[in-house]
Amino acid sequence: MSLGKILALDKLTNFFNALRQNGGIKGSLYKLYRQDELKDGKLVGEDKYGNKYYENARYFYGRNRWVEYNDKVYLNYDGSQVPAEWFGWLHYKTDLPPHQDPSRPKYKWMADFTENMSGTTGQYVPYSTTRSKVEPWVPKKAA
Amino acid sequence: MLSSLRTGVQGVLRAASRSIQTSSALQHDSLFVHRDTPQDNPDIPFEFSEANKKRIDALLGIYPEGHKRGAMIPLLDLAQRQSGGWLPISAMHKVAEILNLPRMRVYEVATFYTMFIRRPIGKYHIQVCTTTPCWLRGSDAILKALTEGTQCHVGGNSPCGKFSISEVECLGACVNAPMVQVNDDYYEDLTVDDAKEIVEKLKKDEKPKPGPRSGRFASEPLGGLTSLTEEPTGPGYGLQDGLKS
Amino acid sequence: MLRQPLTRALKLSSPARAAPLAARTFAAQPPAPEKFEVFIDDKPVQVEPGTTILQAAALVGVEIPRFCYHERLAVAGNCRMCLVEIEKSPKPAAACAMPVMKGMRVKTNSDLTKKAREGVMEFLLVNHPLDCPICDQGGECDLQDQSMAFGSDRSRFTDIHFSGKRAVEDKDVGPLIKTIMTRCIHCTRCIRFASEVAGVDDFGTTGRGTDMQVGTYVEKMFLSELSGNIIDLCPVGALTSKPYSFAARPWETRRIDSVDVLDPLGSNIVVATRTNEVLRILPRTNEEINEEWLSDKSRFACDGLKRQRLVTPMMKDSRGNLTPVEWEDAMVAAARALQDCPPGKLLAVAGDLADAESLVALKDLVNRLGSENTCTEQYFPLEGAGIDLRSSYLCNTKIANVEESDFVLLIGANTRFEAPLLNARIRKAYIHKDTDVAFIGPKVDLTYDYTHVGDSASILKDLASGTSSHEVMKRLESAKRPVVILGADQLKTPEGAAILAYTQELALRLQDKLEDKSWKVLNVLQRTASQVAALDIGYKPGVGPVLQDGPKVVYLLGADSGVVSRDQLPKDAVVIYQGHHGDVGAAMADIVLPGAAYTEKRATYVNAEGRAQQTLAAVSPPGKARDDWKIIRALSEIVGERLPYDSLDEVRDRLSQISPALVTYGNVEDNNYFAQARALAQSLQKPVSGKVDVQLKQLEDFFMTDTISRASPTMAKCVQAVLKQKQSKY
Repeated sequence: MSLGKILALDKLTNFFNALRQNGGIKGSLYKLYRQDELKDGKLVGEDKYGNKYYENARYFYGRNRWVEYNDKVYLNYDGSQVPAEWFGWLHYKTDLPPHQDPSRPKYKWMADFTENMSGTTGQYVPYSTTRSKVEPWVPKKAA
Repeated sequence: MLSSLRTGVQGVLRAASRSIQTSSALQHDSLFVHRDTPQDNPDIPFEFSEANKKRIDALLGIYPEGHKRGAMIPLLDLAQRQSGGWLPISAMHKVAEILNLPRMRVYEVATFYTMFIRRPIGKYHIQVCTTTPCWLRGSDAILKALTEGTQCHVGGNSPCGKFSISEVECLGACVNAPMVQVNDDYYEDLTVDDAKEIVEKLKKDEKPKPGPRSGRFASEPLGGLTSLTEEPTGPGYGLQDGLKS
Repeated sequence: MLRQPLTRALKLSSPARAAPLAARTFAAQPPAPEKFEVFIDDKPVQVEPGTTILQAAALVGVEIPRFCYHERLAVAGNCRMCLVEIEKSPKPAAACAMPVMKGMRVKTNSDLTKKAREGVMEFLLVNHPLDCPICDQGGECDLQDQSMAFGSDRSRFTDIHFSGKRAVEDKDVGPLIKTIMTRCIHCTRCIRFASEVAGVDDFGTTGRGTDMQVGTYVEKMFLSELSGNIIDLCPVGALTSKPYSFAARPWETRRIDSVDVLDPLGSNIVVATRTNEVLRILPRTNEEINEEWLSDKSRFACDGLKRQRLVTPMMKDSRGNLTPVEWEDAMVAAARALQDCPPGKLLAVAGDLADAESLVALKDLVNRLGSENTCTEQYFPLEGAGIDLRSSYLCNTKIANVEESDFVLLIGANTRFEAPLLNARIRKAYIHKDTDVAFIGPKVDLTYDYTHVGDSASILKDLASGTSSHEVMKRLESAKRPVVILGADQLKTPEGAAILAYTQELALRLQDKLEDKSWKVLNVLQRTASQVAALDIGYKPGVGPVLQDGPKVVYLLGADSGVVSRDQLPKDAVVIYQGHHGDVGAAMADIVLPGAAYTEKRATYVNAEGRAQQTLAAVSPPGKARDDWKIIRALSEIVGERLPYDSLDEVRDRLSQISPALVTYGNVEDNNYFAQARALAQSLQKPVSGKVDVQLKQLEDFFMTDTISRASPTMAKCVQAVLKQKQSKY
């Protein structure tokens, strides 16, 4: 056990690492504001929606893989924005990220990933085929 | 055991064809609703003849004021006779008009009585009794002879349009079975030959002799009286002496 | 009383034929016959001679099952369901047709009775289809109920593989009644109703025995304004409601007691609803008004409550199109219009279906804004006593008492279509009491014979002055209980005041001579449900004079009959329409405030005899529509003239201040001051020369008369069907 560790100097190192990696004090404050968390880690890959996937084995299992969502969504991120191909890696179903996994099927017919639109204007609204019980009067338009 | 076998067999047999429950249509040979036909519709005018108008006045005279509807059956009968043995709907309307009744009341009476015929029929309406006494005395053969002779099936009109045959229940001449009624006349004690002769005569529009064909006058025993043969006894017959005055 | 001679019911009624006018002698009422005792299930009961066993049993609360028997129809005695055992009688007797005899002991629960009922039920069911699951009568079927209660617990019917059950062809009797004639058990209630009550003798039985069927023989629509009642009468599912077919089961519906507003009689109804939707309307027994009948319009126009509704406030946009807006915007705009209006230039017009609460709220608001111009659409002469005496504009005889009358004179009132159930009463009197009817007006079919006196108003003048030589004069003079009914439509004409004056003169002259001092002769039959309440509250009848002033703001409270139209108003006039249907009124409005229809609010209506009744809310108003009086109350607050009532009870307190008669629900007060009205009318007896005409002449005119029935597809189908039937040869 090194002296640094005993004196908890490594924590300090990690903090500065994270600070540096997240773009200095200003960048880190922004990250903290946006994600409530400041972590350093290795960039494993990026999906086509601009989400970045990180890994750092120093964190304990369950917190050592994470995603930083595309800056564009700002605070409106949620779990369903992780596309299906990264889902497995993020949830420890596989250790191979999609771009390093040769066995992943890739067919032409595979549809593009869509996030869950619930709560937005794009959400699915079921419609009724039954007529409304009351037919309102529609005034005649003036010519 | 046997019954369950039967049920099983029936089940198999029934499964072969679809077991749809159907209700039988009404069994009667005439409809009890009116359908417009070219021969029978309210556009065809009906007017009582002058002679019948006099009869109507006489008939209406029988019934007291307020009960003129009692004349409905005689009036309908007149109308039926005038229009050739059947009752067109315009005749019913006419009767309703004369009696000042709703038409429905006339329809009700006209459909109730089987003597009112609401479809066009032939000039000679042959009614064959096939109730038990006549049937026992061979009405089936008579009916067969008549249908063959007129080429008219039961409940229909003959191709020539002259005859209509219907099978009817007892006409009340069982003593003279088998019998048929042609329009208003009874022909009784018939044999197949008699039936053929009647048809032939009717075809030539001659009137066959109505009544029994067996030589009887009416319904007396065929071989002469078997009872009531002696002179009637006088008054006091069989009284004990003491009561005789 | 049993098997009353109904010869009059069977007569063909034709306006061409005059009723026999031979004056009858009215024998003094015979003394009431002595009652005697009979025993029903060993319970003693005192009855009058002539009572049937069934009626006697009802007196001690013993219910005898029946199909063909109906209290309001002649006794037929053909279903045999009411068979009961009578002690010392060899065989069971039909309770509905059997008069009781002194000391008779009836057993309604004996083995013989039960067996007889089971036997009858078995025979009825032999030819009745087992289609209860798809039958609309299911759940309210007498046959279902009685076969459960009185039938055998098992079936002996095995013939299904051979001749099977009898099937009968369905009949087409119009767009209101669906027939499934195989279900018919030949009780003949529909036939008797058509013949006795409706007076349209189109139903009958054809054929005999197993081939007998109930129907019309020829294909014919049931041309009656009371046809819907045979649906209620039918004890099985043979006659069911076509608009309501396959809609709901009776146990799924909520039933709310209410009052009908589509004719001036205020028939009592039950509104059946489910999931906030009015499914059907049924009559509710009220012996004083509608007995247990209901007119077709009242019963079937309820689908009009779902069409053409105003569901949201609307305002004219810059292009002149009515566009939906929020309540707040509409209210503020309406309030501004009211505030900006010079006091005398504000006009409020109440329509056919307005309730008393909203009428009083609107009048209070308009008065507070300094205007006295609250009017109704229907005109009534203001000369003489005008509307100051309630007796001048009501049916004073009262609907139920018309039955007791011995001569009825109708003046320009086609009661058959203006008030069908009043006409049913007159017909009842005509048949059972030998009442004769005379009619002044165009020749119309009233379902009974009447003396047509002519259609000239001068006849009335002659009758009133007693100079008429017509036979009707003699009949009126000799009548013990005459009734004179004047149609309110006649008062619209310039000669209206004179016609009313003559009618008052005639009626009161007759009334003064009567032995029965409590008998009232004069009746003015209003056309709409709102008119009496509006006149009671103090609305001025007719809009004529105010319209000529050029009002700046017109507030239409459901006024849809077209007496106010755009081209009568100044160009800059603002029209505010408050109501429940988009019709004439809403189409010409600048601001539309959606109100509630009569099934959607608790409201007071006063019927033609002056009887206040209330409707109850069966469903909630659609969309953003609200209770009418609440809208006016809310508007008053925005205008700055807050009306002093916050709840319905407080509005009704205000109503009772105006007239206590408006809130004594179900009661009708006797009217007085006839003599004063007559005296005031003396000066108005001017010569008249016009013709007496009625608006509703034919059955097709009857169906669509107000906003609700005009919006109803069923009523439109009825009109089409009647017109089609008119083309038919039958």
